[in-house]
Amino acid sequence: MKKYMGNKLAILLFVLPALAIFITFDFIPIIQVFAYSFTDWNGLTIPNFTGIKNYLDLFTDRVFATSNRNQLIFAVVITIYQMLFATVFAITISDKKMKGRKFLRVAYFIPVILSVTVVCQLWSAVLAGDGLLNKLFEAGNFDFKQNWLGDRYKAIYVIAFVNAWQWMGYQFALIVAGIKSIPSDYYEAARIDGCSNVLAHLKITIPLLAETYKFCLIISLTGGIKAFTEMNILTGGGPNKSTYTLTYMMYNAAFKKSDYGYGLAAASVMVVECMLVMLVINFIFRDRDQKKEEEKARRKRRA
Amino acid sequence: MKKRILSTLVCLTVAATSIIGCGSKAPVEETGKDTAAAETTTEAKTEEKAEEKAEENATETTEASGDKVTLSIYTQYADDDTKVPYDYAVEQLKEAYPNVELNLIVQAQDDGQTLKTLAATGQLPDIYQASTDIINTFRESNQIMVLNEVAQSTGFLDKLYDANKDLAYAEDGNIYAFPFSGQEYVLWYYNKALFEENGLEIPETYDDLLNCIEVFKGKGITPLALFGQEGWNTAAAYDVIATRYAEGGIKALDEGKASITDEGYVNAAKKMEELVAAGLYQEDATTTNYDQASEKFLSGEAAMFINGQWYIEDATKALGDNVDWMFYPAADAASYEAGKAVFSGGGSASGFAVNPDSANAELAAEVAEFITEKYCEAKVMYRHNPLVAIDTGKEPDSEYPAMMKKLSDTLPSITATTKFTWGLTNSTFNDAIQSESQGLVSGQFTADEFVQDIADTME
Amino acid sequence: MRKDRSNKALHYVFIAFCWIYAAFSLYPLIWMLFYSFKTNNEIFVTNPFGPPWPLHYENYITAWTKYDVPLYFINSLIVSIGTVIITIFCALLFSYATSRMVWKLKTFTRLFLGLGMFIPVQAIMIPVVKIVQKFGLMGTRWSLIFPYIAINLAFACMVYYGFFKGIPMELEEAACMDGANIYQTFFMIIEPLVRPATVTLVIYIFLNAWNEFILANVVVGSIPKLKTLPLGVLFFQGEFTTDWGGMGATMVIASFPAIIVYSIFSEQVESAMTIGGAVKG
Repeated sequence: MKKYMGNKLAILLFVLPALAIFITFDFIPIIQVFAYSFTDWNGLTIPNFTGIKNYLDLFTDRVFATSNRNQLIFAVVITIYQMLFATVFAITISDKKMKGRKFLRVAYFIPVILSVTVVCQLWSAVLAGDGLLNKLFEAGNFDFKQNWLGDRYKAIYVIAFVNAWQWMGYQFALIVAGIKSIPSDYYEAARIDGCSNVLAHLKITIPLLAETYKFCLIISLTGGIKAFTEMNILTGGGPNKSTYTLTYMMYNAAFKKSDYGYGLAAASVMVVECMLVMLVINFIFRDRDQKKEEEKARRKRRA
Repeated sequence: MKKRILSTLVCLTVAATSIIGCGSKAPVEETGKDTAAAETTTEAKTEEKAEEKAEENATETTEASGDKVTLSIYTQYADDDTKVPYDYAVEQLKEAYPNVELNLIVQAQDDGQTLKTLAATGQLPDIYQASTDIINTFRESNQIMVLNEVAQSTGFLDKLYDANKDLAYAEDGNIYAFPFSGQEYVLWYYNKALFEENGLEIPETYDDLLNCIEVFKGKGITPLALFGQEGWNTAAAYDVIATRYAEGGIKALDEGKASITDEGYVNAAKKMEELVAAGLYQEDATTTNYDQASEKFLSGEAAMFINGQWYIEDATKALGDNVDWMFYPAADAASYEAGKAVFSGGGSASGFAVNPDSANAELAAEVAEFITEKYCEAKVMYRHNPLVAIDTGKEPDSEYPAMMKKLSDTLPSITATTKFTWGLTNSTFNDAIQSESQGLVSGQFTADEFVQDIADTME
Repeated sequence: MRKDRSNKALHYVFIAFCWIYAAFSLYPLIWMLFYSFKTNNEIFVTNPFGPPWPLHYENYITAWTKYDVPLYFINSLIVSIGTVIITIFCALLFSYATSRMVWKLKTFTRLFLGLGMFIPVQAIMIPVVKIVQKFGLMGTRWSLIFPYIAINLAFACMVYYGFFKGIPMELEEAACMDGANIYQTFFMIIEPLVRPATVTLVIYIFLNAWNEFILANVVVGSIPKLKTLPLGVLFFQGEFTTDWGGMGATMVIASFPAIIVYSIFSEQVESAMTIGGAVKG
């Protein structure tokens, strides 16, 4: 069996196409990004090597701290929102007794289909000073009227919500697909044991979908760290750069200030942050993987 | 069952590859569809050119034999202010240069990201619209042609108004782009009807202005609609105040002739802070885009508006006699009078530039000059904007709007102007003033922070 | 199974919440449709949320005449389908090898490719375009397809990895004993099991490629024959003003095919899932 699954030629054939495309169109550019981040370069002329100057400037930049804070908030908000709602809705939809489940499944996914521009246009209309939300509060005599997107400290939460709202549908679809792939006799067994529906899911679905959840966690967190488009459309990074992220810093430096080297330094830091997050998540989930493997080994021995 | 799936997959892959394959490099067949004439007929040439460039084959194209030459041009083509001149220029070009065809690449509103990437990868179009920032960047990498001789031989320099000479020359004394816009001005527009209905005089001092703010706010009218999502508008909002305290405005700061910590600039920032607190701008100004703010003003929901003089045409169309512009208010009557001679805004070194590596660079330079002239003519004739770079000798197709007449009468007495943000040469300062002034507008950054942050950045 | 009353009430509240949330998710679709029939004045001042009246259908006429919609449409379609097929194919094989087969560097290789998820397109744009040129792909549809594959690959591999991990090892053992070689095992036994993942990924990758703007603008922005639908919005964005209604029409034209693709595939999801389940059970 080991020989069967260790077929060198097959492995090579399986891995090669993806690896070749990745190295050519992703990895080589990434290496260049890191290399150029040590230079003074406007994107066009011959770059001047300046050592770690860009990084020193970056770490003392007022906006750098703001960007990191924003990324963290963004990542946390979208992770909680998406994983919570995606799980709840996925479980609801998977219940065969639920009426209109097909319709609901399509509905939750709709925001994912629309382009970011459309979704952001809609939300900026809703959240504007005299937008729908404030009008509703006014009509109901609530004192929640706010400058939703113009607040120095709070705007980032609102932007994070918009992003979370749009992409929740995708994690939802993944979890639904995951639940479908769990054999239904597992649930029947649980039901016979007297578990309620919710309990059955807590005991079966979530542990069995650990890989899917790990993956959802990674896309939410890193999605937060590299966020850009929503800020660009909703606030333009404002007021006064208070909704910037590192990607935004990169964009601003590279294209508005023609300081490509500095921009790439910001991008490099962001990539490193994402990698760290991924490694940490892999580390946290590793124990569980090992446990599963051990269990399997035990079962095999018994058989 | 399983086999079928596998074979379908293989079939699909093969089919996809063949579709992709034939669609691209195969010789272009004549579609016979004349609808997208400009697009379809120029394809073959563009593609050849792109390939040649990629392979760095310096072989001459067949221009000498009188064949059609296609020049790619990267410019704006979206609203009337950009479409009308372009269409007019293309039409005129057909007569003057029958063998030249233009392949239009519509400019993206992306802070030069596309153009810079095209330049970095050697795909620069033959002719492109270059801003001050682009000129300065491309100059360093020799990707912008020196047009001194062409400007001389085509007579462009003779037609250029004296006042606009400085718009043609870059810092190093060379001409890199043919400007079509002349000197431009930031105007403080107001809705005459709204002022009259509320028994208000045109504000001359900030105290008057504060009074107006109070009255308008009481009526539920936005005093001044700002499109603060765009940094240039907030910078202009600061500049119209700064010029009342220090004549140089943001231009002097850009050139390093003044410092943000100077008394005038600090006072201006404090005054702006005060006006923001009083509610001069709408609360969500920093997330308002141009169209939102403009619609507010044109529909009478806002009493004032700050924009360039190019807005005269649109404002007059919508509001007729009810719209006018005023001199910027100042601290007291004396500085109000003195300030009448100083305007925010000004010209910027920008216009049509040429790619020196183009296979037809010489021809492209001539065509760029020709198009520039036609742009100016179209702007005078059809957009009623006499503030173009050159003397066109053309008359508008109808009378100038009243606001434009008033501006023309004022022009001789204007002694100083500043810059629009796109005319600034120090990109660090440009970035700082745009975002910091936005901070002031938001009401959540103090004047002290504003001064401190800019001072820090400029060090 | 015997629930008391408060539990039942709670249940109804929850069901109501599910439906309200669904309504909120559907509204943008309707809103976009409304929007595309309005003028700037209606969009921003007089009628931002309600149905449009009168219908400014001329927005669609402008969109249709400003650029060659059918041509852009076909370009988008070819590029998106090409991207989807190749990405799925590569990702399936790669994830299978890194999740189930046995070799030394598999974890490293998997994480290495995972890097691709974190790169903002704006940062690698210039190097990517240069590489596309070096391979002589400029002026062909491959100039978009290859970078798009690279962008989506890491994501697809991660999704597949999770699904492959969940399949019991016994399946391969059985196949091996029956005498199937590894390729047969993969294509006939394992691949059908991850069909639900494939369908979700097809939708996701298709949408990504379909909506991509930045790279498309740089790579094919100057080649009319190869332009894709998202580039249409350029015709409505001026330096100062934007024709939002016209843009809305363009976005409707661009999104509805995507929605149709989704509705077709979401049916497929359902059936694919039942097949997957049947094989498994």
